[in-house]
This record gives sequence, C-alpha cells and structure tokens, in this order.
Amino acid sequence: MITWIRRNLFRSITDSILTVVSASILGFVVLQVFQFVFITGRWEIIQVNLKILLVGRFPEDMMFLVGFSILATCFSIASLASGVSRTVETTPRLAGRLWELFQRFGLIIATSAFLIVLAGDLDAILFGAYVLLAILGGRLFGRARRNASLRKLPGWLWVTINATLPLVLIFLTMGQAALEEWGGFLINFYLAVVSIALSFPLGVLLALGRRSTLPLLRWLCTAYIELLRGAPLFVLLLLAGVALEFFIPASIAPDAIFRAVTVFTLFTAAYLAEVIRGGLQSIPKGQAEAGKALGLSTFKITFLITLPQALRNVIPAQIGQFISLFKDTTLAGVALSVFDLLNVGTAITKQDDYLGQGLIYESLAFVGLLFWVGSYVMSRESQRIEKKLGVGIR
Amino acid sequence: MSNEVFKDASKMSGGRDSDDAIIVIDGVYKRFKEFEALKNINMQVGRREVVVVIGPSGSGKSTLIRCINRLEAHDDGHILVDGTALTTDIRNIQEIRKETGMVFQNFNLFPHLTVLTNVAIGPRRVRGLSKSASEELAMELLTRVKIPEQADKFPAQLSGGQQQRVALARALAMTPKVMLFDEPTSALDPEMINEVLDAMKELAQDGMTMIVVTHEMGFAREVADRVVFMDKGEIVEVGTPSEIFDNPKEERTKKFLSQIL
Ligand SMILES: Nc1ncnc2c1ncn2[C@@H]1O[C@H](COP(=O)(O)OP(=O)(O)OP(=O)(O)O)[C@@H](O)[C@H]1O
Ligand SMILES: [Mg+2]
Repeated sequence: MITWIRRNLFRSITDSILTVVSASILGFVVLQVFQFVFITGRWEIIQVNLKILLVGRFPEDMMFLVGFSILATCFSIASLASGVSRTVETTPRLAGRLWELFQRFGLIIATSAFLIVLAGDLDAILFGAYVLLAILGGRLFGRARRNASLRKLPGWLWVTINATLPLVLIFLTMGQAALEEWGGFLINFYLAVVSIALSFPLGVLLALGRRSTLPLLRWLCTAYIELLRGAPLFVLLLLAGVALEFFIPASIAPDAIFRAVTVFTLFTAAYLAEVIRGGLQSIPKGQAEAGKALGLSTFKITFLITLPQALRNVIPAQIGQFISLFKDTTLAGVALSVFDLLNVGTAITKQDDYLGQGLIYESLAFVGLLFWVGSYVMSRESQRIEKKLGVGIR
Repeated sequence: MSNEVFKDASKMSGGRDSDDAIIVIDGVYKRFKEFEALKNINMQVGRREVVVVIGPSGSGKSTLIRCINRLEAHDDGHILVDGTALTTDIRNIQEIRKETGMVFQNFNLFPHLTVLTNVAIGPRRVRGLSKSASEELAMELLTRVKIPEQADKFPAQLSGGQQQRVALARALAMTPKVMLFDEPTSALDPEMINEVLDAMKELAQDGMTMIVVTHEMGFAREVADRVVFMDKGEIVEVGTPSEIFDNPKEERTKKFLSQIL
C-alpha cells in the first residue's frame, strides 16, 4: 500500500505537487458537497414538492396508469436487455456476483430508496416493489426467448411486443390528463422513452436508405439526415412551437408534447442513422458475399446478417445518442413551455414559502441527480450489453 | 439460350462432352475499369468432375470462380450453370446460387450466430425448411465434417480448421450440385490444413462436382480430374494432373511450377 502510494503518487517533485494540489481540491469539493447535502441544504422544498417534481398535478385517480406505464417500460427494457444477450458468464464466487449486482443496481436502488424516504408513504414502498417485480418479470420474458420455452416466438414479434407495450400504456396515460395538469420528470421520461422507441426504427431505415442502390431514395435519406444534423435542436423545437400552425389548423393542432416527441424523434433518428451507417460499413464485405453465395435475398442478408452485427458494433454510440436525447428533453421545457422537471424545479423556488431564499441550488441539485442517475444507468447497461455480446471478441 | 453458342466452347475446353457439362463458360471477359481480369475464358466442367485451378497471384482465379455464382458480374460471354444462364435476371442468379456452394479463404462465417445456426440458415431461410428440420439437417452435416460437439459455440470459439469445416457444412446444407472453393486452406495454420483437405477429399469421393482454387499441389495431384493453369487473366493450359505437373507444355506453366515446387 505504502509502496503503491509512493510509486504512483510521489514519484517526483512535480508528481508530489500535483498530487497534493489535486488532493486538496478534491478534499475541498467533497467537503463542500457534504456540507451542502447534509448540513446547509434545505431539502424540505424537495420533499414538499416531490409529487409536482415527479408527475406535476396529474389527476390522483389516474395515477395508477402512470404507474402501469412505468412498470411496462421497466419490464420491456429488462426483457430486451436480457433477451438480446447470450451465454451469461457467471462469476463463480458469491461475493463476485453480489458485487456485480451492486454495480448494476446499487445506484437505482439507492435513488429509489432516497425517493421513497422523501415521499415517506406506503404507496411509494409498494411501487418500488412493483418496479422490482416488473424488472424480474422482464428478465424472465427475455430469457424465455433465448432458452426453450419461447423459442418458437419469432424475434421480430418478441421485439414488437416489448416495444409496443410501454408505448401503448404511455399514450393511454397521456390521453388521460390535459397538458396543464401533468408535468415534472414524467414528461422527460415519456419524451425520452417514446422518442427512443420511435427514432430507432426510423434511424435504421434511414441508414439503410442512405446505402440503397436506388438513387432517389439514397438522395432523399442523405438530404434528410444532413438537414437535421445541421440544425440546432433548440431551433427545431422553437420552430415546432410555431411552424406547425402553418400546416395544420389550430383546432386540431397537436399539443406541445406531441410536437416535442416529433422533433426529438426526427432529430435523433438522423444522428442514429449515421451511427448505424457507420456500423454497417464496418461489416466486412465477405459477410454479405457469404449470404449471397447461400442464395439469401438482399433483404434477408440485411436483416439476418449485416444489420444485427452492425447494430451490435455500435451499441455504445447508439446509447450515447439516447443519453443525449434524455438530457435534451429539458430543452422542450424551455422551447415549448412544457412543465418538465427543469421548469417545475425552477418554479417551485418561486412559491410563496420559498421565494427569495436562494433554494435554486437544492432544486437544481435534485433535477441534476435524476438526470445523472438515468444517464449513468443507461451508460452502464450499454457497457454490460456490449460485453455480453462480445463486441471486440467476435 | 441455344446450344449453338456453346458448340465452339466444347471444342475449346479440351474437357468432356458438353451434354455432360454442368458448368459451361464461353468467351467470358471480366474488366475492372480498364483492367482485364479475365480474358476470353472458355471452359467446361462435367458432372462429378473435380477441377483444380492454379496460377500466380492476381491471375484471376478468384475472379473466375466468383463469376460462376455472380459475386462478380462478367462483362462478355456466357456462363451456364446446370442449364441456367447467368444473366442480370435476379431469379436466374438466385437459382444458380442455390445450386452452387462456396467456401471462402477466410471462412466468412456469421460471427453473431451459433455454429448450428450458421449451417441451418441456408436451408431455413432459402429453402424454407422448418426450424427443427433445418437444425436436424445442420446437425447431420456437422457430424459429416466431424464437429457435431461444437454446434452451440460461436465461430470465434473454434480453431481455423474447425471454422472452415463449418463453412463447408454451411455450403453443403443447401445440397448444392457444384461446390466452389477459393483457397480454402490458405488462411490456416499448417497443422490444420489436412483436416480441411480430408473433408474435401471425402466430398470428392462422394461424387461432388468441385472447382477448387488452391496452392496445395498434393491435393491437386491426388484428387483433381483436371488441372487448369491461369496466368494474367487467361487459361494457359489444361490437362490431367500428371500432364500439368510432370509434362507441362507451356513455358509459363513450367516457370510457375518451378517457382512453387
Ligand atoms: N474488385 C476489384 N476491383 C479492381 N480490381 C480487382 C478487383 N478484384 C480483383 N481485381 C484485380 O483482378 C486481378 C485478379 O484478381 P483475383 O483476385 O482473381 O486474382 P487471384 O488469382 O485470385 O489471386 P490470389 O492468388 O492473390 O488470390 C488482380 O490483378 C486484382 O488486382
Ligand atoms: Mg484469389
């Protein structure tokens, strides 16, 4: 230990200075954060406004639908994650497995526990338990496909079930409340889930279209991709706020959420398309040739051979796009005046009880925490799936 | 397509009678931009015949056999496989690809599929067999190339020789009438070459029609009915193994053989 310290931290004078300086900065930051979190922070503003922050003023009697939509999303994600990966390399030792589980779920469980404590009621605990059940159920459904029981279920059907289940519930829920009533993190969550689910197939089609041998199709896809990648997301959102009226009469114009979903989907699809196209280009020509030599059609070569490998190769970049999308949903709040988490977070500091007390730090810290946890979990899962699929090995 | 076109071809081939031919190549040219990779190739392959193609690097051996299943499109001339003419018509191309199996130098197995699925994919997705029937067939073929125990692994977990035998099984699963081999042992470590050559010999003994591009002269001598020597995009000399190896007539053949033997 001491030799390690000496060798790695104090090898030379410069090393030692750097070590001391960075250690003091680190110590200072940690101390400040600790003080803020446990001593000076006035967290009652979060506690009092917890429901508004999470779901806005969503009608109480329809809350069960929100719950179902979240459970369905957890179920589907767990199912997809365990269904696409194969051969679980189990660590033989119990301690190792526990450590693995801790790495994967520790942060989620800690955050959930934190929220439950903040909420401080039985329903929250119950809901936490349901989420756990949904995740376990999803894993079972995912594994069932890989193992014997659901072998007969075609892959595309299984994916479709997983993708539509949460979407249907989310759309159902969104229809239950006027936009003024709901808000908070639920908006960011829904925007992200729906846009991810819709932009993925669109991105795949655009990528394939851009590689198509049909000139018109290729040209259209290229134009679309370059156009959207060249435009700032924020501008697109602002445009969606006003421009749709030009095309659609105001009476049937979709509300802000649908506009936001449209923009996020179209925008993310363009980026995804480029990522996926890169993946397709990385597949050796011999793969398609082997498919041709067997007599497979171009369509089957794409969907059975090249595309699955391409998607696998670019998992980190794809998830990266999804993480950006998740965080960018806060832009919708500003551009389209939707009451998303960030907007609610700033609004609560202007309540009579808290006005002028500088509680914006507490509020932003909470907002940031939720986004950070979400992003971090996605990024970790992407690494895990990548490892399980053996990227770089096969 | 009338038979007239091929009258000349059968004379030039020096091979068997054209009624017997399963592959007829007549006056075929292939160009990459200005470069002529194949120049006036005429050749026939009879049923159950094993033809070995040899020649220096860049002489067009790969291009020739890749034209037979249309991985390359020839520019001039005609190619007939089992009576079907290779044209731009995609149905003809698919028909011919179903009848011809190909084994590549670097295997080209599908890395994301198990060994069993690699072999079963052709029968299932092209011939439309059920999942269980195609897997049963795949298992039979894996047994035939002597690696049934590897069925559930992924290609990357196998040795080179094993991978190439999977590739062979994958091609055979389509019950092809002709097998094309493009340097099937060139990417293998020396100690694995024989296991692949043995599997190929067995296949030849079972009466498969084969066109093999290879540098394994021992295999050519032992298994080939005819040896074709190519150079600079042309067929320079055709003959039985002993004619080519012991008694080459052309200067270029002699020079090539002296360099490699
Ligand atoms: N796609 C291509 N584009 C341009 N030139 C090509 C292409 N494929 C092959 N060639 C050229 O055609 C010639 C014949 O190539 P081919 O691969 O058939 O040779 P080969 O006899 O198989 O050689 P080797 O023993 O090295 O495999 C070579 O000069 C090569 O450079
Ligand atoms: Mg070659």
